[in-house]
Amino acid sequence: MNCAIQVCGLKKSYGSHRVLNGLDLQIEKGEIYALLGVNGAGKTTSLECIEGLRNYDSGTILVNGKMGIQLQSSSLPAHIKPMEAVKLFAKWNKTKIDSTMLNALGLKEIEKKPYNQLSTGQKRRLHLALALIGNPDIIFLDEPTAGLDVEGRISLHEQIRKLKSSGKTIVLASHDMAEVETLCDRIAILNNGAIVFCGTASELTDKVGKKYFIHIKTQQGDSTFETDNIEDTLISLLADLKQKEMHVLDIKVDRGTLEQHFMEMTRRETE
Amino acid sequence: MNGFLYGIALQCKLDIRSKSLLITCYIIPLIFFLLMGGIFTSVMPDMKSTLIQAMLVLSVSMGAFVGLPPSLIETYGSDIKKVYKANGVPIYLGLVTMFLSAFVHLMIACIVIVLLAPILFEAVLPAQLPIFFLALAIYILVSLSIGSILGLMIKSQSKLTMIAQLLFLPSIMLSGIMFPLDFLPDFLKTIGRIFPASWGYRLMLDDGFCLENLVYLICVFFAAVIVCGVVLKKQK
Repeated sequence: MNCAIQVCGLKKSYGSHRVLNGLDLQIEKGEIYALLGVNGAGKTTSLECIEGLRNYDSGTILVNGKMGIQLQSSSLPAHIKPMEAVKLFAKWNKTKIDSTMLNALGLKEIEKKPYNQLSTGQKRRLHLALALIGNPDIIFLDEPTAGLDVEGRISLHEQIRKLKSSGKTIVLASHDMAEVETLCDRIAILNNGAIVFCGTASELTDKVGKKYFIHIKTQQGDSTFETDNIEDTLISLLADLKQKEMHVLDIKVDRGTLEQHFMEMTRRETE
Repeated sequence: MNGFLYGIALQCKLDIRSKSLLITCYIIPLIFFLLMGGIFTSVMPDMKSTLIQAMLVLSVSMGAFVGLPPSLIETYGSDIKKVYKANGVPIYLGLVTMFLSAFVHLMIACIVIVLLAPILFEAVLPAQLPIFFLALAIYILVSLSIGSILGLMIKSQSKLTMIAQLLFLPSIMLSGIMFPLDFLPDFLKTIGRIFPASWGYRLMLDDGFCLENLVYLICVFFAAVIVCGVVLKKQK
């Protein structure tokens, strides 16, 4: 079986409010799969149902492998030190502590600091380490870089890539589109409790990003042009610039950002 | 050392680092013991024979009703519970380790009082120390089991402060440790019997270790264990 997670017709309501409305998804082994959605779309609920932390009303969930979970909102006793937490979780999981992993996450440097004195980034790294302690096959990361500075984010991305290269399956819920675009193999967009798109970032662009954006930098300044016909527009723009004797310093063509496509997709589905 | 034993040892350490437990299990009971021990034995010299038992009831009630529940709320009323659950640590671990750790800390505080009372206030040591310590252990277990219910069922610290006082104050005032029960009107005597403190106090007195004083405490303990089990199951 090459499938790490398979979810069929998952439904979940809080009182009269239905959060998951027949969610279907399939995550392959070894891929980084992103779950995107606006606030309240059901990302955390879906993940918590799959993780076994939340009961659901109906549907089936199959998980093929050991799970490691980093929650969106996590906490530990105020006075516990990182290495004590690591030891406690390792002993319960009956696994050996992987010092290389702890070093890579920078936990050795903060091993004597109590939890309530750790920065947001240090806490995130500690919770990632706790999720990895049992040597899981599938790792759930819910908003892993929320509240992190640039350095912390880059370092965490590096860790996630290393995990993928070691064959782990990673399920990521995030609001950070740049993060999703650079890290993930496939993206699922969740809207009103169901998946409205599932595929690669370029497939999403093909589906939603019909327009091209031409960004031109000249000595006079930057301009962006929107077009459906890239060839004709580019030729006429360059001819126009040449005629005006404007020297082109840089030129870029793209089909919009993932963020724009995500917004467009959710807007369409909401309409 | 397996996960469970490591969890208990770790919790004992965390409790020492946590100033609140240090205050409620050691500092306040010992200060109260030093003050009240002096006052009681000088105002009522007869109290020398029951001073140790009275001070222990006070210390244990303070630690169990005021000291333990906030630590439980910190775990079970927050995301800590979720992190434990998500990473393969059983949900009962927090309760059991905090319970056992509080038991150890309260027992240490009580031993300090038992050792100091005869020296400082000429208090009379219990006639049969092994039976006395068995009674003390039973009373600590019962009190902690009630403290556990408070910690598991109440979700906010402010509510807890109020409810803990509703248990703590009558336990102290109506159990006979401050003044003889004969001074109380009948209805207050009856109310006093609802609180385990009055039974625990009697159990620790010389010749008090009997079935009559034990039954109520045992019933309370098992009822509390069942309630804690149900609450934990719901939290799953």
